[in-house]
Amino acid sequence: MTSPSLTAKVPSREMRQAKAKAARVGWTPYLFAAPVVLYLLVFQGYPLLQELYLSFTSTSLLSPGKQVSIGMRNYTDLVGAAEFNRVLWTTFIYTLACVVFSVGLGLGTALLLNAPFRGRGVARSLITIPWAAPPVAVALIFVWMFNAQYGVLQQAFQWVGLSEGMEGWLNNPSRALPAVLLTTVWQIFPFASVVILSSLQGVSSELREAAVIDGADRLSVFGAVVWPAIRPTVMLLTMFITIWSLRRFDLIWLMTQGGPIGRTNTLVIELYRRAFTFRELGEAAAVGMVGLSVALLITVVYFRLSLRAERAAGQR
Amino acid sequence: MNNTLDWRHALRVMAVLAMLGLTAFPIYWMMVTSMTSSADLFASPTHLTPDMKQWPVFGKVFSATPVATWLKNSAIVALGTTLLSLALAVLPAYALSRFRFAGVGLLGLGLFVTQMLPEAMLVVPLYAIFGQLSLLNTLTGLILVNTAFTVPVITWILKGAIDGVPIDIEEAASIDGCSRLGTVFTMVIPLIAPSLAATAVIAFFHGWNEYVFAQTLISDPNLHTASVGLAGFVGELSTPLHSVMAIGLMYTLPAVFFYLLVQRYVVAGMTAGSVKG
Repeated sequence: MTSPSLTAKVPSREMRQAKAKAARVGWTPYLFAAPVVLYLLVFQGYPLLQELYLSFTSTSLLSPGKQVSIGMRNYTDLVGAAEFNRVLWTTFIYTLACVVFSVGLGLGTALLLNAPFRGRGVARSLITIPWAAPPVAVALIFVWMFNAQYGVLQQAFQWVGLSEGMEGWLNNPSRALPAVLLTTVWQIFPFASVVILSSLQGVSSELREAAVIDGADRLSVFGAVVWPAIRPTVMLLTMFITIWSLRRFDLIWLMTQGGPIGRTNTLVIELYRRAFTFRELGEAAAVGMVGLSVALLITVVYFRLSLRAERAAGQR
Repeated sequence: MNNTLDWRHALRVMAVLAMLGLTAFPIYWMMVTSMTSSADLFASPTHLTPDMKQWPVFGKVFSATPVATWLKNSAIVALGTTLLSLALAVLPAYALSRFRFAGVGLLGLGLFVTQMLPEAMLVVPLYAIFGQLSLLNTLTGLILVNTAFTVPVITWILKGAIDGVPIDIEEAASIDGCSRLGTVFTMVIPLIAPSLAATAVIAFFHGWNEYVFAQTLISDPNLHTASVGLAGFVGELSTPLHSVMAIGLMYTLPAVFFYLLVQRYVVAGMTAGSVKG
C-alpha cells in the first residue's frame, strides 16, 4: 500500500531531525549546558588558569600567597636541562610502551575471545578483572610480588634466570621501569581488549567468509576485512591510552616514587615531586604546562591523521 | 582438515586459559598472602595456596585498623560522585545530541581537554580554592572534585546514547503537550537506561579508586578513604602483611564483583557512546 505520494509527503528522519533542531533551539541548549559549563569552569578552568599563572612565578608551597613574578625563567630552566630531558625521555618510553603493549595484547586477546568456544562469555568477563581493580590495591600487591627477598615474581624471575642477586626489580635502575610497565599493562590491556572486541563484533561475518572462500589466508583476511573495520576504534583507543598514560600518577608514585635514580620519573611524577618534595609550585606548574602541551599536540596529530584516513577511505 | 581445526581450537583454549591465569593471579596472590601466617610468609619454598585456618584475619583487621571507616568513606564518595555526575551530565548530553547551537564545538572541545588534565597538576590550585570555600577536610569536597573529572566522559557517552534514540518519539510527546524538559525525563531517560547504568559504574569506580585528591585535600584520619588508608601501607613493613592484604582484598573485591555484575551494560553503553559518537 505504499504509494509514491505517501512516501513523498513523509520527510526522511534526518530532515525532520534537522527541522526539529532549527525550529526550537532558542535558549534551551544554553540553559541545558550552563550548569556543567559553570561547574567545569570552577573546578577545572579556573585552577588551570591559576596553574598557568603560577608557572610564571617563583612560589613556595610553604607560603603560597607570596608569588614572585619571574617571567619565563621556570621554562627556560627546563629547556635543555639534562635532568628534564631524562624526564621527557622516560615519559616517552613509558607512554609508548603502554600503548604498544596494551593495544597489542588487547588486540590479541580480543581476537582470541572473538572466536566461538565453550565458556567464552565467562572468559570475556574474567579477563576484565584487572581493569576493575583499584590502582592503589594494584600497586600494593605488585610491590609485594616484586619484593626483593620474598616476592613471588622475584622468585619466578630468578627461576627463569631473569634476576640475579638479591636486588629487587623496583630497586634496580634498569629493571624498575619494566616492572612499572608490566603492572600498568596488566591493569589497562583488558580495557583495550573489551573495546576492540566490541568493535570486532561489528565486522561482517559474510565478508569474512567470502574472503575465506576466495582462498585468502588468515593474515590477508585480517588485513583486508577485519583491520579496516576496526581501525578507527583502535586509533581512538590508542589516543586515549596515550593521554591516560601521560597523566598516570597513582600506580607509578606508589610503586617507585619516580626512582630509583629517576628511572621511572615521568612528567606527572616530576610535577608532583617539584610541588610537594621540593615545594617549588612555580617550577611544578611549568612542568605541568609542558605535559599538557605534549598531550594537546598528540591530540591534534591524532585528529589530523584520522581526518586524512577518513578522506582517503571516502575517495576509494 | 578436521584434525587441524581441533588442534587450533585446543591451542586457542590453552591461550585463553593462560591469559585468564595471568590476569587473575595478582588478585589470587592477594588472597593467598592475606591467608598466610606471618611465620609461613617468609618461609621457603613459598606457600602457593591459602591457609584456610587464617580466615579470621578478615575479622581482626576491623578491630585493629579503621578499615570500616575507610570503606564507608570510599562508598560515600563513590555514591556521591555517581549521583552528582549523572545529575549534571544528562542535560548537556541532550543538548549536544539534539541541538545545533553556536558554541557546540567549543563545548565539545572543552569536555575533551579535561581528559588531559592530570589530577596531580590541579591539586595545588584546588587546595587553595577549597581552603577559601571551606571544603578542605570534607567528603563533599572530594565528591565535587571527582565529579569534575567524570562529568565530561559521562556527558560524551550519554550524548552518543541519545543520538541513538529516534527523534519521532519526542515529537509525539511534544504534540501531547510535553515540555522539552518533561520529554527528556519521561521519554529519553528510560530509553538510555543501559548507558546510564554504564556511566554510573564509571563514576562510581572513579570515586571508589581516586587517590591524589583524597590524599591531599583530606588530613582528618576520620575522613580517609580506603585508597589513602591502603596507600599508607605500600612498602611499609610494620603492619603484618596479611592484614594489609586482607584490607586490600576487601577494597578490591567489592569493586570487581560490582563490575562483573553490571559489565554487560558497561560495554554496551560505552560502545553506544564512544565508538559511534
